[in-house]
Amino acid sequence: MDFTHKELAQGSWFKLTAMEQLGNIGSEVQRALNWRKKGNASHMTTALYRALDLIDLTAEDPKWRNHRLKELLRTREIFCDFIIGDNQYGIRGPELQKEFLYYAIAARKDT
Amino acid sequence: MSFAYQIILGTALDEKGCHLWEFLSDVNYESMNFKFPSMPEIQIITEKISRDELREIAKPMYGELVKAVVDIDKRIMAVGGELHADEERALLERGSRQENLWGINLYPDQTDENWIEFDSMINVRPSQGNRSRNVEDTSIQIMIRDIIRERIG
Repeated sequence: MDFTHKELAQGSWFKLTAMEQLGNIGSEVQRALNWRKKGNASHMTTALYRALDLIDLTAEDPKWRNHRLKELLRTREIFCDFIIGDNQYGIRGPELQKEFLYYAIAARKDT
Repeated sequence: MSFAYQIILGTALDEKGCHLWEFLSDVNYESMNFKFPSMPEIQIITEKISRDELREIAKPMYGELVKAVVDIDKRIMAVGGELHADEERALLERGSRQENLWGINLYPDQTDENWIEFDSMINVRPSQGNRSRNVEDTSIQIMIRDIIRERIG
């Protein structure tokens, strides 16, 4: 796979904890939601692409090759469906934001 | 050995330790026709950078956004990393203090106030009372905007 985050794809992403990975993914999710709210389709789409790039990179990480992988890929699908699909799962933006923010706080709790 | 290779090997030394360094030092890359993948380079901005230069830095990431970390004490910033955490580390290694570092995103083509976005994982710092990716203290936001005006033009 040709990842956009080329340096991270060379291994440094896998050295992050799962919480740090999800927190960083959440940052891009947040950006996509913000730009969607502001009606900027271009910025929304590129934030979506960056989020998907990080999710796909995470899916390649050996520490996710277990029961966690299913949840990760479900989150990917729900996020895509919310941003560019029909929101068939009935997710609300604040719920999505809150979920990822908890990961960010957990990852940075000692700072 | 070219300067670029030395940089790559220096990175390898940091990541993997001396053994890999010794191994790589023995390899003659010049004769291997080996292409290193393009790696983003973190730049520390202590003087001034133009929006056009920012656009160049943004290119590898779909050309719209540049992640930056601002040191509000030293009034410098780091740009060009794939993660704010990488830029944060670069500034810490240069003597910055973590409490002075804030992550932002710059959209060089955006002409309104939305061109600066206060949103980064590194901003989540419960010990400083900042519990979101936003920069919650508006006085710090003002300082950051001021530094951005000073450094980008």
